[in-house]
Amino acid sequence: MPDEEVLEEGILNPVQPEIQDPLLRELLADEPAVTPADTPQEQAQPTPESDEEVDCVVVGTGAGGAPLLARLARAGLKVVALEAGPWHQPEKDFATDEKAQDFLFWNDERLAAGHDPLAMGKNNSGTGVGGSTLHYTAYTPRPLPDDLNLHRDFGLGVDWPLSYEELAPYFEEVEQFLGISGPTPYPWGPARAKGYPLAPLPLNSAAQLMVKGCEKVGINTSPAANAALSARYYQEGVGWREACTNRGFCQAGCSNGAKASMDVTYIPLAVQHGADIRPNCFVTEIERNAQGAVTAVVYTQNGQTKRQRCRHLFLCAGAVETPRLLLLNEIGLDSGQVGRNLMAHPGVQVFGTFADEVRPNKGIPGALISQDTHRPQDADFAGGYLLQSIGIMPVTFAGQVARGRKLWGQPLRDYLRSYNHVAGINILGDCLPHADNFLELAEEKDARGLPKPRLHFTAQANEQRMSAHAEALMRRIWEAAGATDIWSFQRYAHVIGTARMGLSGDDAVTDRDGRVFGVPNLYISDNSTFPSALSVNPALTIMALSLRTADRFLEKMK
Amino acid sequence: MPVPSYPAGTVRALLTTEHVSAATRAALEARLDAPADYQPQFFAPETFALLAAVAARLLPQPERETAIPLAPAIDQRLAEGRADGWRYDALPPDREAFRLGLGGIQEIAQELFKNDFLPLNLEQQDTVINALANGQPPGQTWQELDAGRFFEELLAELTETYYAHPLAQEEIGYVGLADLPAWTKIGLNQREEREPQANG
Repeated sequence: MPDEEVLEEGILNPVQPEIQDPLLRELLADEPAVTPADTPQEQAQPTPESDEEVDCVVVGTGAGGAPLLARLARAGLKVVALEAGPWHQPEKDFATDEKAQDFLFWNDERLAAGHDPLAMGKNNSGTGVGGSTLHYTAYTPRPLPDDLNLHRDFGLGVDWPLSYEELAPYFEEVEQFLGISGPTPYPWGPARAKGYPLAPLPLNSAAQLMVKGCEKVGINTSPAANAALSARYYQEGVGWREACTNRGFCQAGCSNGAKASMDVTYIPLAVQHGADIRPNCFVTEIERNAQGAVTAVVYTQNGQTKRQRCRHLFLCAGAVETPRLLLLNEIGLDSGQVGRNLMAHPGVQVFGTFADEVRPNKGIPGALISQDTHRPQDADFAGGYLLQSIGIMPVTFAGQVARGRKLWGQPLRDYLRSYNHVAGINILGDCLPHADNFLELAEEKDARGLPKPRLHFTAQANEQRMSAHAEALMRRIWEAAGATDIWSFQRYAHVIGTARMGLSGDDAVTDRDGRVFGVPNLYISDNSTFPSALSVNPALTIMALSLRTADRFLEKMK
Repeated sequence: MPVPSYPAGTVRALLTTEHVSAATRAALEARLDAPADYQPQFFAPETFALLAAVAARLLPQPERETAIPLAPAIDQRLAEGRADGWRYDALPPDREAFRLGLGGIQEIAQELFKNDFLPLNLEQQDTVINALANGQPPGQTWQELDAGRFFEELLAELTETYYAHPLAQEEIGYVGLADLPAWTKIGLNQREEREPQANG
């Protein structure tokens, strides 16, 4: 049904076939990329002969792939990164315009099922060298130690096969390398060996209002840790990066390199150490030998099918495309867990209107944080959440008003005239795995002829109670800060857990080092390996795990 | 709080200044200078006219001499087969959903007023849209098409199209486009010289 165009009265036969993937359309049209990107020929390294075997192929260049890529290249290994999207030049290409920046998102269609269907695309899924870090909000809080032990503490979900102490050195390394701006000391969690390298970014209006409201309600707040520079910053292998100019456009791409997306941090480091980055390469097949070991990947680049032989393969394509590749290739499926345990962070937002001028487009969107709600005393749920102030861009806000308030006509236009007086708070909360929440391959095909992924997500009692607790609290905070016309927008962010790590291949897809059980030379490094969702934004933990996976791999190679 | 209004002309005045990057200027000028006589590429003319009439009720622009065009963005997207990364599993593919959904709006109009949507007066048109927005509209179409999800998708796409237009952004006092070299006054009640003040 879906790919057959039915001719109906009143509908003209479209000239173009229904190809929903802009990249593929370009390929089929046999034209250079129309996105404002430099074509791969200008930036990629020379393509090796097809029969050359490299040490490692890394699929995906986001938070899971890029740190590992740099580490492996630095160790002298011959590494190739295959990235589905193009390689941008942000200074030149990135507009301060939400619509124009649509090319940053993974726009291939995913089917969202369940009672709480997950919005994808700009909500949580990117493409291009740098992956989703091109549009992440740059939140980089560390998980708190007990985030890793929900089962120990509540008898629910599963524990991580790793401790906070094992991850802490990697958190520190990433924070120092990216140049995180944040408070020292950090008010929550264990004492740290090193503080953040830069002072926090300035508080914008939404953050100032949240301080005011939280003081009255009795909640401690702090300037947040953000992966955007509060001052110029130098790192070996990267050079100087400029300070944040408070554009407030993190979610639509940073144009001056202040935000630590992978394309301005770990990717240049990897290139300096000889990594071969190949943009516009979409991987479709994983080839194996009789022993079940990976021997090569097959991918398409500019309309051509290519094969890259490799000794080791690292899947770092995110929690949708990584399990999709495993399912398509029927590899690593012994545990029966691939695609299962899909989790998403409760991310309910509460907006209010203030007599003061807010102008919510300016400044780092998430300038203020509170983790006082990490384990609320009056909680009727397992786990907890954090609170963040939110600035917001106008088109994103308008879309949420349409979806969340269902205002239309004159009331819609009247409400949005108050944009300059609106501020928000949101949470990021933990999520438990549930049998009803999973990813599968749909019968419906994409333009490549591959099955589309279908994501089932229904918030269970724990997520519902947490969201209700958080919404009531945020409403109290905004009332205390003087807001009127307070409303909430129910949402879930990030896809997590679809190829989880664990101690045994009986109930996990990878071991604690990211190696896939049952396949000797296949690794996963992205948020699909998270055994539980964590009550913090995932990017920092993905990067820390990426470095750890690389180190563990290199130790085994010795 | 009274609804603020902002002076006209601020966006066009800023566009030519050094506060706007070349990439930003190119994106916004393309939208400002879009030809007024858009010819539909995907929809038949009468279906396109229906979509435009529905859009005019969801985002009415009685005060504008020339309305910000909304239907062309949807027509273009469907013609090119573009998606935004996800779709409610409850809905069929976008082209099918729009075919069914616009037909379904005609059906509501027929059920309620024994007439097509276009000839209805504005009050009647709003009654039709209200029936759709409430999620339980009359008509055979809505037995197979999820009215709530279809309405949400239609409204969200039109709303985002409207507020992506520089003149709609000017209407709400947003000049984020003029972000060079930096925003330095970002706190409560702080305004950069180039940011407009609300009227009165």
